[in-house]
Amino acid sequence: MANLKIRIDELHTDKIIAKGFEFRVGRLIEEWEEEPGPTQMPNIASLRDWDRKLLSKYKPFYLPFCELCCLCTMGKCDLSQGKRGACGIDMAAQQSRIVLISCTLGAATHTAHARHLLDELIAKYGPDHPIDVGGASVYVEAPNIRLVTGIKPKTLSDLEDALEYCEKELIHLLAACHTGQEGDNIDFESKVFHAGMIDHVALEICDIAQISAYNFPKADPEAPLADIGISVIDPTKPTILVIGHNVPPSIEIYEYMKKAGLEDSIELCGICCTALDLTRKTSKAKIVGPLSHQLRFIRSGLADVIVVDEQCIRTDVLIEAKRVHAPLISTHYRNFQGLPDRTKDSIDEIVKDLVSAQVPGVALLDSEKVGEVAVKVALSVFKKRQKFKAIPLEPEVIKDAKRCTRCGNCQRVCPNYLPIPEAMLAVANGNLEPLSNLYEACIGCGRCEAYDVCHQGLKPHSMIVGASRLKMEQDRFKIRIGRGAIQDTEIRAVGGPIVMGEIPGVVAIVGCANYPGSWKDNAIIAEEFLKRKFIVTASGCAAMSISMYKNEDNQSLYEAYPGIFDAGGLVNCGSCVANSHISGALIKIASIFAKRKLNSNYEEIADYIHNRVGAVGLAWGAMSQKASSIASGFWRLGVPVIVGPHGSKYRRGLLGRKDIKEDWYVLDGRTGKRVYVGPTPEHLFISVEKKEEAMVLIPKLCMRPSDTTKGRAIKLYHYIDLYTKFYGILPDDIHLFVRTKADIPTTMKEEVIKVLEEKGWKESEIPSLDPTLLSKFVRVKG
Amino acid sequence: MSASSMFADIPVGVGVIYEGERIRKPQMYVELGGPNIKEKFELLRVRPINEVEDGKITIIDRDIKELEEGSSIPYGILVEVAGKDLEEEMEGVMERRIHDFCNYIEGFMHLNQRNAIWLRVSKKSVERGLSFIHIGKVLQRLFKSEIPLIEKIQITFFTNQEKVKRVYEEALKVYEARDARARGLKDEDVDVFYGCTLCQSFAPTHVCVITPQRYANCGAISWFDGRAAAKVDPKGPIFAVEKGECLDPFNGEYEGVNKVVKERTLGAITRVQLYTAFNYPHTSCGCFEATTFYVPECNGMGIVHRDFKGKTPNGLTFGAIADSTAGGRQVDGFHGLSFEYMRSHKFLKADGGWDRIIWLPSEIKERMRDYIPKEIYDKIPTEKEVNTVEELKSFLKKNKHPIVQSLKEEVKEEKEKPIAPVTIVPTQVPTITLQPQAQSPTLTPTSAEEAITLTFKNLKIYADKLIVKKKK
Repeated sequence: MANLKIRIDELHTDKIIAKGFEFRVGRLIEEWEEEPGPTQMPNIASLRDWDRKLLSKYKPFYLPFCELCCLCTMGKCDLSQGKRGACGIDMAAQQSRIVLISCTLGAATHTAHARHLLDELIAKYGPDHPIDVGGASVYVEAPNIRLVTGIKPKTLSDLEDALEYCEKELIHLLAACHTGQEGDNIDFESKVFHAGMIDHVALEICDIAQISAYNFPKADPEAPLADIGISVIDPTKPTILVIGHNVPPSIEIYEYMKKAGLEDSIELCGICCTALDLTRKTSKAKIVGPLSHQLRFIRSGLADVIVVDEQCIRTDVLIEAKRVHAPLISTHYRNFQGLPDRTKDSIDEIVKDLVSAQVPGVALLDSEKVGEVAVKVALSVFKKRQKFKAIPLEPEVIKDAKRCTRCGNCQRVCPNYLPIPEAMLAVANGNLEPLSNLYEACIGCGRCEAYDVCHQGLKPHSMIVGASRLKMEQDRFKIRIGRGAIQDTEIRAVGGPIVMGEIPGVVAIVGCANYPGSWKDNAIIAEEFLKRKFIVTASGCAAMSISMYKNEDNQSLYEAYPGIFDAGGLVNCGSCVANSHISGALIKIASIFAKRKLNSNYEEIADYIHNRVGAVGLAWGAMSQKASSIASGFWRLGVPVIVGPHGSKYRRGLLGRKDIKEDWYVLDGRTGKRVYVGPTPEHLFISVEKKEEAMVLIPKLCMRPSDTTKGRAIKLYHYIDLYTKFYGILPDDIHLFVRTKADIPTTMKEEVIKVLEEKGWKESEIPSLDPTLLSKFVRVKG
Repeated sequence: MSASSMFADIPVGVGVIYEGERIRKPQMYVELGGPNIKEKFELLRVRPINEVEDGKITIIDRDIKELEEGSSIPYGILVEVAGKDLEEEMEGVMERRIHDFCNYIEGFMHLNQRNAIWLRVSKKSVERGLSFIHIGKVLQRLFKSEIPLIEKIQITFFTNQEKVKRVYEEALKVYEARDARARGLKDEDVDVFYGCTLCQSFAPTHVCVITPQRYANCGAISWFDGRAAAKVDPKGPIFAVEKGECLDPFNGEYEGVNKVVKERTLGAITRVQLYTAFNYPHTSCGCFEATTFYVPECNGMGIVHRDFKGKTPNGLTFGAIADSTAGGRQVDGFHGLSFEYMRSHKFLKADGGWDRIIWLPSEIKERMRDYIPKEIYDKIPTEKEVNTVEELKSFLKKNKHPIVQSLKEEVKEEKEKPIAPVTIVPTQVPTITLQPQAQSPTLTPTSAEEAITLTFKNLKIYADKLIVKKKK
């Protein structure tokens, strides 16, 4: 909002005479008409009671990935078997401290991203650039920001106060991890929740700022489709590859291409979230794939210039770029890659040095300059490089495989213990198939090629890719580009059926999709729940992985299912910062649909979501610390999250105990009476290893105390149906979820009643329609 | 397929997962009914107990596999049920379950109802041996387990053109008689209404009162549905409401309704008048199909529905208007309602009915063509004619909308207060016009209602000189 300046040259009243009165205001902030609730800009202590309430129901169960603490010089300290460290810390506190460090790192990364992005957007578009994420369809434009900070942002500069709040809180969280601070594991866990909540505010700042400034799709269910897959890249054109998360440099590349009339003569493609966000600007940009595609694509030699910004980028990207003679441009001070900072140099000089290979790469911290340099270098280098490859052709792969001694070193260092030696033997005999079968399982980490792993000097990763040429040629799919927020009108339409349980759940498939087969797994899981009329939302690399699969009609799921936030809709919100729209949609169900106060009213909204909104997150193949902070933001809202495979490396679960009846009472908000509602939802954070386990858990964790009998019957149907499909028997806990006979799925009455009889089940009272964990939300004291 | 023991003898899956399954032409073995077939029906009758042979399934005359592949077949299904507590007026409600139950069957698509049915059987399911016998068994089991009042059930499938035609004629008569009865049923004719508290999960002070002439706000539950639901599941969220004494026939206020509403809202709502949007209107939940909005300048109401994407003449979206009344509140002039209620003779009767409606989205207007009195139809504008209150006023005047007359009368009787007009403040912050460097400050809220508060943080005023002068 423009600065306010009032000047009164002369004022005469009966009491005052003023001359030359001048009055200025630095910033004008329009306050929100809704009065703030009890927790405006909460500090670490403000929501501690709510956290403890959740954590008493879902107790942390630690899975120490490492039993030592080596953070200070008194250590290393062995904390196993009840021992305490030199500072007095025990295993539980240490594990939760590591979780806090991880979540704080994640939240700090998003917050720093938000800071960098917002500063750049304000510099370019001005502080008064309006926030607009969906026109008249999205009145609640920033549910997380409004809920946590009480700010209703109208312009880019309004986001600054929210961002400053995040930055301040993160310092306290990080400080709490220092030696000799917090000692109680539950207090660490509460801080983990705090980091998660901050994270979602930062995510939202990022995404609504870029949607508003760059005019990304605004809550559009019919956002266009874009191309994704290695083979969608045209090898006959100069190619610029962007990797990372901070989209402004990539957008400037596109803007320069457009200005120079080169839109159709250069391939602009990307890996990871920058790619997703770039397609939100132009569907001419192409997506190579999720972060696991970095090595294989760089080594394919298709990229003539590689531009990196921040996060999830291979830290050896310069070494890999050099191997294929592709110049590297680092655009971000958080990721210099040791390159000289040439921001102040002239474009011609920089281009000359890169084209002549005087330098392997440069750091360039000016997005507009990046745009021009990348395009000019790509055009010049293209002919010179002739798509120099670092991937062997099939005959070479066979020749190399013959040298393999099957020592097994490569398999041992592989994070997924892929059977590489076995495949090498087959290749040596002329059969490439077993090796190419590893293509989808391989996450492209390159550990098998590290120094001294193969004493024959073989490059197993490159050989896998070399053996998979045919597969790569089929790597061609369609993805719906990130639509951004969920419309208020969509929320109104589905609010009732979700809260009643008739839409059986909202499944958020998110995260890095970075474990064997996880691309396909994500797509199979998505398809299963789309068919079952759940709402499936997606973001980030997981959203990409869902597209990299064809159904029986040879369509990608984004072609087969609509992009609406409704039963059977597949909603790609955008990059990983767009996860805030998923939490935002849940918050909007409570605030728009159920009319709960939104302004600074975290506990009530979270209590509503936890007890009534059947949503579950699935981070299949989640890898990063950012993924853990995103998950923790969902935990504080009381939304369960499933992780896997390898999810146990996040070091702990938040597991409910369905065998302890006492844990599963809620208060009836109408009467204050304590009511047993069964283990719904049963866990807050659980890790599983197989996609089938996850698929059984999803409908189960969507059950909520507020389900009507019709809604519970539908959810139970999906739980029992999937359980019997994958385990071949009926689940043994059906009786815990059936409250009255009307809860039993219509088509399963006979067998369910038999189980209930065996378990000695008794019909309980009519379930509460107004469940709450907190006595302050009881309207009539009973 | 699930390991369901209830349907172990059925060669295809049976369950919620198959609901909404679409069978396209290439996957289709045969089409039953559908747009190319005139004679088709689906009929459920309640019969005396001795006239029904429980478990009987008859096919007249060809079973699925005997039908020609790729063809469209005249088709009918007659479900006959008996039970001592079943009533003829429950037939319609039970008949509609045929749709749900058929859709639970894998590879068996069912659309529409009555004589508009359109079914398809998939090639895959026929390959697995699906027969009408199986479909009949599934329906019988589901009917009996879902509606325990059914003691006996027999089902007849018709695929013979002549036979279909004969029963089709009978079915049409049954539908007509049923509709006539439903249309003719008035609130005054019954002693019991039905209440529904399903929405209390998000609208804690809302109780839907469902009467023969007032559908539930969501548009999904008629009085007949309410009656059946309350009978089948007496402990469920839909329950009988004894009407009690009629306290105000004009506004539709009943002693029994007030009592139940007060109980079920824990005293938050004490009075409800069913046929008005003012004073004690029926509460609005959150899932109403449409809502009225009061336009004080015209003393009339507009209606806007959920799918209307634009703005009403007062500049508000459905969402903003819905926000002002949802959550189980009684807000004068802002009244959540169903489409079906707009078709009722009791529709806002106390407020003047359609004479009080001054604006509609064109989509609603078209849907209500047969229900809006002819003499007023062209006098109600839509978004195609007017977009602002000023345009609305002049349209109403020009077209002599009855509200114009009432406005004039009010001007004459100046002292008579118009019915509780409320002003909805747009949820957006008012525009403040600032003129930097202006000679004098100009803070102009767009209207008197939009009062604003200015908060100065760290306000420091510096004056070169402050001269205090005592008055003599």
